[in-house]
Amino acid sequence: MEVLAKVAFAVYALIILGGAVLAVGSSSLVRALVGLIVTLFGVAGMYLLLNTPFMAFMQLLIYVGAVCVLVFFAVMLTRAHGEGEEAAPAPVKQYLYALLAGLTPAAILSWIILKHPLASKTVPLEVPIVELGKGLLEQYFLAFELISVVLLVAMSGAVLLAWERREKK
Amino acid sequence: MSALTLYQLVALMLLVAGLYGIVQRRSLVGMLISVELMLNGAGLSIVAASQLTGANAVLGQLGTLLVMGLAAAEATLVLAIIVVVSRRFGTTKTSEVSTLKE
Repeated sequence: MEVLAKVAFAVYALIILGGAVLAVGSSSLVRALVGLIVTLFGVAGMYLLLNTPFMAFMQLLIYVGAVCVLVFFAVMLTRAHGEGEEAAPAPVKQYLYALLAGLTPAAILSWIILKHPLASKTVPLEVPIVELGKGLLEQYFLAFELISVVLLVAMSGAVLLAWERREKK
Repeated sequence: MSALTLYQLVALMLLVAGLYGIVQRRSLVGMLISVELMLNGAGLSIVAASQLTGANAVLGQLGTLLVMGLAAAEATLVLAIIVVVSRRFGTTKTSEVSTLKE
């Protein structure tokens, strides 16, 4: 079982790596979106390995189901087709800055992670879904209500932003 | 290497990919995709830390749910902003959307 878990972890890590490279490196935005979806599936697999099936389900439902559709709408509404804005290669300076921006936190954080490893369990315990529901309705009630207010405000704000322009025409 | 370290390294990889993408991309949609990558790394890191150490597992999972909800709200707003920008400027290239007032 131990070996099988390691193999599954390596497979999911490779899926995440490939998807992330496609998501940030592809010159076509639709392909980048496919890369993002692949990455999200890989992270859902990681959640399953961590023994949190509810989080894996929510990952697929919220990210793959809702966020990716929104990004796809953004791609369609701006006509960002394959020959769009990302097709021409960026100036070399931009790649250098991007590498610097990525590698600096990577170096610092990986040094901290490897220098001070925390003792970790080998087999994570599954939290029953009843506990999560109780947490939402008892201890973390305020956060639960606030996130619904944030979603409502974001939704009405989005409608308002897109509507005002149409009336002005 | 402990299991937690491995999960944290994967989450760090997602963060690095997102940071690289957000600097390198030249359109708003590409930057939105990079932000989603980074938020995913954050969620994975939180769940791994709460499941594999003695921390409160319920808090970790609900925290990640909160991150997911915020990501959905953020994607909605960014979609609206992208639509407005592309109507007003005719493009979503970040180099051309650089004026505050026309």
